[in-house]
Amino acid sequence: MSDDHDHGGVHHHERPASPIELRARALEALLVEKGLVSTDAIDAVIELYENDVGPQNGAKVVARAWVDPAYRERLLADGAAAIAELGCGGAEGSTMVVVPNEPGVHNAVVCTLCSCYPWPVLGLPPSWYKSHPYRARMVSEPRSVLREFGIELPAETTIRIWDSTAEVRYLVLPERPSGTEDWDEEALAAIVTRDAMIGVAVPVAERTLA
Amino acid sequence: MSAVAGLVDVDAALGAAAPLPRSNGELVFEEVWQGRALGLGVVALERIGASWGEFRDYLVAAIAAHVPAPGESAATAYYTAWLDAVEALLAARGLET
Repeated sequence: MSDDHDHGGVHHHERPASPIELRARALEALLVEKGLVSTDAIDAVIELYENDVGPQNGAKVVARAWVDPAYRERLLADGAAAIAELGCGGAEGSTMVVVPNEPGVHNAVVCTLCSCYPWPVLGLPPSWYKSHPYRARMVSEPRSVLREFGIELPAETTIRIWDSTAEVRYLVLPERPSGTEDWDEEALAAIVTRDAMIGVAVPVAERTLA
Repeated sequence: MSAVAGLVDVDAALGAAAPLPRSNGELVFEEVWQGRALGLGVVALERIGASWGEFRDYLVAAIAAHVPAPGESAATAYYTAWLDAVEALLAARGLET
């Protein structure tokens, strides 16, 4: 947001404001004067929005797929449409492929080229997701990387790595942990972490205190 | 402040009709005024008790009516229309001089 780099010796405050910038300032000043907004409230919203995207949409999707086999079918057939069904905006216009973990098959997501990420369901990517070591090693030695994340997979488990692009984003559907048979959707969603949907963690049946 | 809609709710309200400009999930603000335009719209909307559905209709209309300047970026076009929509909403409520 900030624009305080050097413009060839001209201090940025001296840059003439563009007409649209002046208009935005004038509208803000007018609304402040009318008592409809405060500068602090606007600051707070910007701050909130720059940080307030989390994986809660993805967790809702996974929990629904665990309790509703028909939803699971739709989710695997057309991820973006099934995600939109739950009222999650932003998935439109891109292809969302949901890859299910199964006994003997573990999936994980990477973007080897840059940092493409299923943000409408997971929020903003963690910094390690964008790091070069993760992007390179998740493809060349996934088993070691997963071990470092704390997942020890049996030697016979097949690991599938999905390489995201700007057009196709992947989301891992983790396996529902045993011991959660009588849990409701909300309790289930609470144990679905961002990392589990990237495929570098598995959900654990531990109830969180509400 | 407690009444301010979360970004997830804003995304759901705007839907595919007028989604906020983003790059890989992060909101795109090329210039400071764009972030302030978003913020003042959200705060004003809550204060006058307008619904997001109502605002979305104004925003969709403003986007349709917007004539982009040569070389104008998508974010500039979007937030210019956003200001138009805020003003149209305020005018409809008799709140803008």
